[in-house]
Order: sequence, then structure tokens, then C-alpha cells
Amino acid sequence: MIRRLIVGITAGAIALAPAAVAPSAQAADPVVFTVGMLSDVDSLNPFTGILAESYEMYQLQYSTLMQPSNADFTPAPGLAESWEESADGKTWTYTLRPDLVWSDGTPLTANDVVYTFNRILDGRYEKTNYGNYLRNVTGVSATDDRTVVVTVKAPSPIMERLAVYILPEHVWSAIDGKAVKSFANEPGEGETLVGSGPFLVTERQAGQFIRLVANDTYYGGRPKVDELIFRIYNNPDALAQALKKGEVDFAEGLTADVFSTLEGVEGITTYAGAYSGFNELAFNMGAALSDGTPIGDGNPHIQDLAVRQAISHAIDRQQLVDAVLDGYGTPGSTIIPPLYTTLHVDPATQPYDPALANQILDEAGYAMGPDGIRIGPDGVPMSYRYFVRSDSDTSVKSGEYIKSYLAEIGIEANIKPVTDDALYEIIGRGEFDMFEWGWVVEPDPDYQLSTFTCAKRSYKDGDTIYADLSDSFFCDPEYDALYAAQSEETDQAARAEIVKQMQQIIYDNVAYVITFYYDNLEAYRSDRFTGFLGQPEGSGSLLFQYGTYSYANVAPVGADSADTGGSDGASASPGATDQGSAGGETEPASSGGSSTGLVISLVVAALVIVVLVLVLVRSRRSASVDSRE
Amino acid sequence: MSLLQDAAVGEPDPIRAPRVSGSVLRTVGGKVLRAFITLAFVVVFNFFLFRLLPGDPIGLYTRGRNQDAEQLAELRRALDKPILEQFLTYVRNPFDPGIDSTRFSRPVWEMIGERVWPTLLLLGTAIVLASIIGIWIGIRAGWKPGSRFDKTSTGTTLTLYSMPEFWLGMMLLIVFSVGAFGIPGLFPVGGIVTPGVDTSTPLGWLNVLWHMVLPCTTLTLIYLADYSLVMRASLIDERKQEYLALARAKGLRDVMVRQKHAVPNALLPTITLIFLSLGFVVTGAITVETVFSWPGLGLLTYEALRGPDIPLLQATFLLFSIAVIVANLLAELLYAIIDPRVRS
Amino acid sequence: MSRVATQRRKAAFGRFWTTYRHDRAGMAGLIILVFFVLVAILAPILIPDDALDVTKADGERFDGPSLAYPLGTDDSGRSLILLLAYGTRISLTVGIAATLVAMIIGTAVGIMAGHFRGPGSHVLVGATDWFLVIPFLPLAIVLATVLGPSTLNLIIVIGITSWAGTARLIRAQTLSIEERPYIERSKALGAGNWHQMTRHVLPNVLPLVLANTTLTVAIVILSETTLSFLGLGDPLAPSWGALLDRAFSSGAVSRGAWWFVLPPGICVVLVVLAFTLVGRALERILDPRGATA
Repeated sequence: MIRRLIVGITAGAIALAPAAVAPSAQAADPVVFTVGMLSDVDSLNPFTGILAESYEMYQLQYSTLMQPSNADFTPAPGLAESWEESADGKTWTYTLRPDLVWSDGTPLTANDVVYTFNRILDGRYEKTNYGNYLRNVTGVSATDDRTVVVTVKAPSPIMERLAVYILPEHVWSAIDGKAVKSFANEPGEGETLVGSGPFLVTERQAGQFIRLVANDTYYGGRPKVDELIFRIYNNPDALAQALKKGEVDFAEGLTADVFSTLEGVEGITTYAGAYSGFNELAFNMGAALSDGTPIGDGNPHIQDLAVRQAISHAIDRQQLVDAVLDGYGTPGSTIIPPLYTTLHVDPATQPYDPALANQILDEAGYAMGPDGIRIGPDGVPMSYRYFVRSDSDTSVKSGEYIKSYLAEIGIEANIKPVTDDALYEIIGRGEFDMFEWGWVVEPDPDYQLSTFTCAKRSYKDGDTIYADLSDSFFCDPEYDALYAAQSEETDQAARAEIVKQMQQIIYDNVAYVITFYYDNLEAYRSDRFTGFLGQPEGSGSLLFQYGTYSYANVAPVGADSADTGGSDGASASPGATDQGSAGGETEPASSGGSSTGLVISLVVAALVIVVLVLVLVRSRRSASVDSRE
Repeated sequence: MSLLQDAAVGEPDPIRAPRVSGSVLRTVGGKVLRAFITLAFVVVFNFFLFRLLPGDPIGLYTRGRNQDAEQLAELRRALDKPILEQFLTYVRNPFDPGIDSTRFSRPVWEMIGERVWPTLLLLGTAIVLASIIGIWIGIRAGWKPGSRFDKTSTGTTLTLYSMPEFWLGMMLLIVFSVGAFGIPGLFPVGGIVTPGVDTSTPLGWLNVLWHMVLPCTTLTLIYLADYSLVMRASLIDERKQEYLALARAKGLRDVMVRQKHAVPNALLPTITLIFLSLGFVVTGAITVETVFSWPGLGLLTYEALRGPDIPLLQATFLLFSIAVIVANLLAELLYAIIDPRVRS
Repeated sequence: MSRVATQRRKAAFGRFWTTYRHDRAGMAGLIILVFFVLVAILAPILIPDDALDVTKADGERFDGPSLAYPLGTDDSGRSLILLLAYGTRISLTVGIAATLVAMIIGTAVGIMAGHFRGPGSHVLVGATDWFLVIPFLPLAIVLATVLGPSTLNLIIVIGITSWAGTARLIRAQTLSIEERPYIERSKALGAGNWHQMTRHVLPNVLPLVLANTTLTVAIVILSETTLSFLGLGDPLAPSWGALLDRAFSSGAVSRGAWWFVLPPGICVVLVVLAFTLVGRALERILDPRGATA
């Protein structure tokens, strides 16, 4: 039996063998920048993937016509160097940069853009990820190699923010509408994917790593590092350790607890970048279908503005930031996060004030009951179902705090931890009073704003009620009118004004209590790499942005780096850089530290084995002595 | 889950055990049939249980995506078929390569295929080490019950037996990988290999070995507790057998009696139990792989819990069940073929 | 029950206690158990009202052991020793409740499977075998996922995945008891199935059930720890397993915060060990033949 097991093991080792990365046989040691992240890419096919990690690969691999600037998210040139809206707002003309080339040398022309857009417009599967960007588009054509003309039904501000990855027609035309569903878009052995972005995918080991190489033909100029490796870690602890040991140069999306252990570590810079996500305490404001038919069983108390206002005043958002996020975030206010500086508004009229909260409830007729729980005017105690996401530690932890805040003002929150799947359905059917969840907001606010429109409430298909985007069931004609207005306002400043009014309405009605905007926690080996660009500049994330600014600019310490550099660069000699990537061929991403560890532990292992053998020999001898007794 | 409790499983059922009655073939056939019925139940159970789950996976996984409502409805309709039709589709091929994980949007069996080998490597090594060390401890302790070795080893193994394996893993991680109590961090904090290292070279193997030390130690320690306790108990039983007294009376030296008679006989139930313990082994794999980020099936199961990723969870459950059922069958057959008392 | 029988049982218990008192391992286990049960019962008195309220926690987060916090603090700055005491209450409650569920199912199924003949019995035996073969944790994970995370569901899940071993043991015992002449006699006298099972079989299998119960509690507590660690319990009820989950997911390992990880594990080990020692001692005394020395 034991023999059989050993056979199994050898088979395992053999099967593992092809999983290896063939060391790239470049003449000089390539400069490798390794990023550690906590989740794998779900698919390299841009029509299939849904995870943020996948989108990061798409934007590295393929370019878009324009992209949000790294300064403040305003539309900036991508493949298109300029674009123009016709006077009636019905036609958009995009001019591509001159001399664009795919990584295989084929010219990148307007036809590739037309091909990609048409593929999305005509395809069923292809619509999934990008259909919404093109929903007003009626026609796409190329008037010459560098000019794309798009006609739209109505004026559409989204036409300046088309986050559609332009694909090489000469590659993708071979993959038809059926094949695309199962198309992995992964390179074969020794190949790289054809693209136009700063890096090109050359190898993927699912669950382990993705390797990209610099694109010589990138319109922004060849990146300053030769290779980019994304390594997947399954928990933030492991990722943090890997950064400390030099297995990775950059750690993305750390948790607060782990992040703080990296602060002050020599050679590592920690960076809490403002992020576009928020968490909220959401209320059931009267669940209904989009046609107004009431559904669900939400407690009517929650529909009372006074109750929601009181709850908003009862929550100490700063303490939540400090305790739940370890301080890495900012107290919440409205549904557009402050990193969108041109859109965000902060009314700041609902400060933490439990006394005021109690007073509001007293005045609204919710009298304190004998057991510390208030009784509503309808005679029903203020005891509500409060769902939190068992999948998220942040959600559960926020729940603990919020339950305690509410207890202070005589409201009982019965915390019910459920899986995301279950919660989604519960929300859709309106069978809740409150819940804790969050959103990530895109640079274009349309989608986020739409989640509060009447039309996005749940709907019925057959006998089943399905959730749409609205999870608060907020419905207000004035808001809906503003929503319609902003969706056709192509003047960015005018649109921003409307968006601010809409945020104010949600805030005043307390459809959500936005608890906090969380930071994206990143850390990197500042002793090895420099040149990161935040988005927005100075405060936002360094990687996983809307764009590839950092990747295109990051450079080894000591080498020339375009924008930043300077201070760190002076102290490091080229020799230090070499040492950083010691072990070159076989361990491109690991430092001297980890190989020392390897040697020491192997020596220890050898010692253990020797000792074990000695013990065995001794015991055998003593056993025979025993038996002679 | 525990060997100690289920020790009875390996023993032939006093009532139904095929005692003499000739045909080994019939016995084998019966056992195989029973394994198949068990398996069939797993498949049916697997299907219906998950239908009880609330949830709208399509809606959930498109939340936050810039997606068309029509497209959504279409995706849903594709899923929303009569339960009988769904069941038939499932039963026809529970290993359908077309079933995608909801979380990773990849075919589940493809993902499982990638994750099987690391688990086999880790578990295989741990089981072999644990059997060797565990049996050795069991023999020494069981031959002289009450001796100092017995007392120390039984105390230690009972303590190990009482330990949640993932906790042991976390402690080893803190002490030997993060570094605590003055011990430097010698081992990697997780994973199977440093990225970029070629696992087809000897240095690559060493690298894998280096990553394997802590998780493998954890599992070995936990498993050997069970194995040594069982070996010890069955050796003590064996010692009471009359033929041993007879052998001793015949003047055979004690050590000879031990090596030639008692140990081989006592080994049988132990080895059977090692096979039967696969269900318990799987438990360790799930938590220990999670703690050490070992990219195997256990970690995959843990990842499938978020969401939850039903197709993936269904598939791993099916696979684990099959593995255990097959191991059980092998153990029973082994027992029936080797044990003279069963075959008589 | 007649007075004679009561007296007989009393005397039997006296004899049992005298034997048990001399079992050193058994007594050690018992003492540990008494300690933890006391902690569990007294937890509400020992723990100040607001000490476990996250919004009122006054400690530094992840602080090492100190005078004010003998075992340090958790990720919210709460005293870990108090959390541990409260966790004792939850872990023991879940352990005992789930064991009861398992014992009731196991004993009922075992006796019925042993008593009755025919297809019903086959189904019960089949179900028992099925539950014995299916790997425990994957099954429990699947069930817990379907039921959703809560303490009650955890008890149910562990209960219905842990009864099969008991059922098998009880069935074998029932079969041998039913061979005894007085059962034959009572059958001949026309006693119903219910009467036979509750009056004759049950009292005879009870000692075995008792020994088996203590061993099962040990395993059940380990199961609770494992499932809670995987996030399948109520994340807001700080059982030992949930504390370990919290430590793991809040990065205690990478901080080297051993005081967050070590104590809950030691508690688990002690309690599981104690139950195992007591169970083995009971086995030795009640059923010396099958004892594992």
C-alpha cells in the first residue's frame, strides 16, 4: 500500500513539472517587477472576465480610445489623440494617434475600432461586459485609417469615457460569436498575446501567476521594466510576508491589519490610496417593483425619515474608520466618493450626535420602552432585521459596531449574517429592514446614480421577483428627472452640478448611511522600484487604476525614471539593484533573504533527518537490549 | 471523522460479515455494488441539497457590472429550467466539463484538475510519514504498555489528537515562518513554489520541498496521533491472543514474537484504518491548505465558500466523497482478502 | 421504576464512582472539565457588562499580554481573556447541544435498526453506513452553506453529521441484548415494540451511550472549532473556533500576535483531551472487554 502511495507522489511531481516557468533566456538579466495580489484573474478573455484583476490585465494588454486621466479622472487621450462632438450631440468623431501598431507589427487602424464596436453591438455574448457603453450608439464607421465616426441616438456624455478594449481584428476575427464564449485568450508556450497596451501577456499558470512582457510598440513608449509578473496569494498575510522577503515588489489590496504590520519596515513604503469604493448601511425605503407594486415585508418604521435621520446621527463614522478600517479610509457622506473631486459633494449636515438622535426619535413619537427598546407610534418595538455579509469581515465587523450604536438610541438590530448570494435575493424581494454592503463607483457616475431611480427597483419575470440595481427602493420623481438630465448632458461641468444635486437628495433622504470610503492599501519595495503615479495624483491608488499610468512609468531604483525618482535614486547604486534580483535566472523575483532562508532550512531539515536516523538506530539497539532482559 | 470512534468500521460487521461461504467474488461484487449505491446517493443528495439554497447567482455576479438588463434576463432563463430537466442533465454527467465556477468563470473540473496534484503531493507525503512514524510509535508503546515510552508517547499523541490541525499550522507559521520567540522566519509563509522557479529542476524540487515543510509537518503530526493510537491498541489486543503465549512458551524470544507474529497481525487493522481515515485526512487538507495557502483542493473548497460558489462546492464535495468511498472499498477488499479470519 | 431498581442503580453508581476515582487519567479529565464548566457558567458574572462591546473597548488593538489584559487584546481592543471565557460558554454549549442531537438520533436509529427486522431496518442501516462513509467536513460544509451561518444551524449540522458512529455501536449492542432470554420472555408475554425498546433495550445500552457521549463531545468540539474557523458559524458569537477565524482573517499570524492564536487553541486541546480521557476511562470501567487500555 505504501508503495502505491509513493507511486502517486512521483506522478504528482511529474505532473507539477510543466507548471514551471521556463526561465526566459534573455541576454541581460531582465528587470522584473512582481506584483502580489489576492485573487486570480477569472479569464483573460475581455468578453468573459468580471473581476477587477482581469480588467487590470485587459487594460495592460489592450488600450482604449480614451482613459480617465491620472490627475483627476477627466477624459484623457488613449488610442485616440482627440475627439469631437457634433453640434447636435448626435455624432462623435475620434482621431487616432498616428502610426499605431499592434505588438506583432500589424498597423492598428480605425478598422480595428469599428470591428470591436460592431462586435459588441452585434454580438450577444460580447454585449455582456461592454454593451452599456454603447447602448446609445446607432452606427460606427471608419472614414480613414485614423478616423472613427460614431452616431448616437441622443447626446451621451459616456462617449468620452468608452472603457472598451480595442481588439486586433486580424486575431479576433478568427473567433466567432460561439467560440468566444469558451475562448480563454491565453498564449501558447513561448508566445505572447497580440495587444496594444504597455505589457503583453506571455504566460499564465491559473491560481499561481501571470507573466507579461513589455510591449516595444506601446504608443506611450516602451515601459521601463522588461517583465511584469502578477503572483496570486491566497491570504494577505502570505502576501505581506512575500513582500518582506522580497518575493514580490508590490503588494496590492492588503487588509488593514496586515498593512499596518508593514509600516516602518526597511525598504518598504506603505501607501493607503484613496479608492472609489464605499460601504453603506442601506434601508428598505418601501420595497416595490419598478411599476410601484409593493413587495416584501420591510418594517414601516424605516420608511419614516426621522428614524433614518436618527440612525445617521447615531453612527460614529470616524470610529468605524478607525476600528474597522484601522484608520485607512475616510468617514462617508454621499454616493460619489471624494476621490472624484469634480463630482463629489459633502453636505456634512448629519454629524455623530447620539443625543440629537434620541431627541429626534422622542419628537417623532418613538417612546423609550421598559427594556431599553423604543416603541413606535404603531405600538411595535423598534427591532429590525439587519443583514450583514458573512463573506466579508469588514461587513461583519461594521455590523457589530452599528448594532451597538443603535442600541444606544433604543433601536434593536438583529444581526443576521448571510452569504452574498442569499442577501442579494433577500434584497431583491424586499425582505429586510437594513443591510450592510458596498459599491465601487466608476469614473462615470451614471451607473451609480441609476441605482436610486424608480425604474431600477425589482422586477417580475413570470412569478419570480428579481433584484435590479436598486437595493434601497428609493423612488423620487425629482431625482429621476435629474438622472435623465445628467445622462444627456455632455458638458462636464454642467453635468457635475446635476450630479451634486442628486447626491444631496440621496443624502437628505438618508436612503443610505454611507459609513466610510475605504482606502486601497498597497505597499511596495521602495528600495527597488520607483516612479509610481497615483490616480488621482498624490492621493489615489498606485495600481489597479482606471488606466495603466504606474506600470508605464515604474522603474528600478537607480535607473532613470521620468517623473518621480530623485530622492531614492541617489542613494542606490546599480550594484544594489543587482543584489536585489540575486539568483537571477531561477529566482528572478526573490531576494537574497529568501534563498538564505532556503539554505538554512535545508540544513535544519538535514540535521533533523540525521537525528531521526540516530534515534531509530539507537532505539533498535535498545529494543534488542530490552528483549534480553 | 475520528479514527478512535469509528474503529469499529474496519471490523467486519458481526451480523452481515460474509463469514465463510466460499465465493470471494460474490463478496467483492457485493461490496462494489454497495459502493456504487453510496455514490449514487451522493450524486442525488448533491443535486437536491443545493437546489434548496436561496440566491440569484446571475444577478449577484453581475452586481456592479455595467450590464444590460435584457442580457441578464437571458442568462437567467438559461439557468431557469424545470427541476427534473436540471436533475437529468446533472445525473447524466455530474462531471460535465461545461459547468463553470460562478466565482472564477472557469470550468470547475479544469480548476480541480490543476489543484489535485498539490493536494496529492502534500497528503501523500504526510500520510506516508505519519504511517511510518505512527506505526513505529504504536509498536513501541503497545508492546510494553505502561512503560515510560508508552506513557510519554500516549500523552503526546492524545494531545496531538485533541488539536485542531489548522491551529497547529497557525502556530508553526507564527514561530517558524513569521518568526517569534527569538526564532527567525525560516520557511515561506505559503504557496507551493516561489514564482519563476522552474519545478522541473532539482533546485525547483527543493523549493517545493521547502514550501512543503510546515504544512506537511502539521498534517504528519496530526495524522500520526491517530495512527499510533490505533496501532498501539491493536498490538495490545494482539498480545492477549493465545497463540502468542504459546509462541513464547515455545521459547521464542520476545523480540522475535513481536516482529514475526504480533506486529504483522496488528498491522492489518492499522493499515485498513489508514485507508479508512481518508475522510478524516480530507478535513485536514481543507483547513491546513487554507492556512498555508497551499494551492490544492482544500484551499479551493475554502475559496468556494465565499459567495458561495455552488458549482465548485458541488464538484469538490463529489470528488472528496468519491475518493473516500473508493478508499473505503479498497480497505474492505483488502481486509477481506488478507484477513484469514474473514476469508477463513 | 420500582424502588428496588432505584436502589440497585444507586449501588451500581457507588461502585462505579469508587472505580472511577482511582482512574488517574479519568480524574484529570474530570477536573479540567469541571473547571471549564464553571468558567462557562460564571462567564456572565465574570465579564463586566460592556467589556465585549466593540464600541466601548478601551484597549489598544492587538496589544500583547499586560496586567490590565492578561492575554492581550483582539483586533477591536477587547480583552482576550474575557472573550475566551465567553467563548468557553459558546463552545461548550454548541459541543453539548450538538452531541445531544447526535446521541438522540444515533441511539434512536441504532435501537430501531437493531430491534426491527425487514426493509425499514435495512434503510436505517443503509443510512448509517452512508453517513459513516461520506467525509465529515465536506458534508458539514455543504450543509452549513445551505442552512446559513448561525449557532443553531451549526448545532444542527454537527448533530446530523455525527450520529452514525453511535448508531452503529448501539445497533450491535441492541442485537446482542435482544438475544438475551428475558427479552424473549417479554416478547412472548406480548410486550409491544415500544415497551421492549424503552424498558429493556434502552436501559441496557445507556452505559455505552454515556461513554460514547463523552468521546463524541470531544470530536464535536473539534468539529465546531473547524467549522467556525472556516466561517460557517455565527461570526458574532466568539466561540474558540470563531476567535481563531478572527485571528487568522485579521492578520494576527503576520503580526506574530501569538497571544491571539495560542490560548483559544490550548482551550480546545484541554477540553477535547479532557473529554477523551473521561470517555476512555468510562469505557475501561463500563466495558472492560472492548477497552483500548
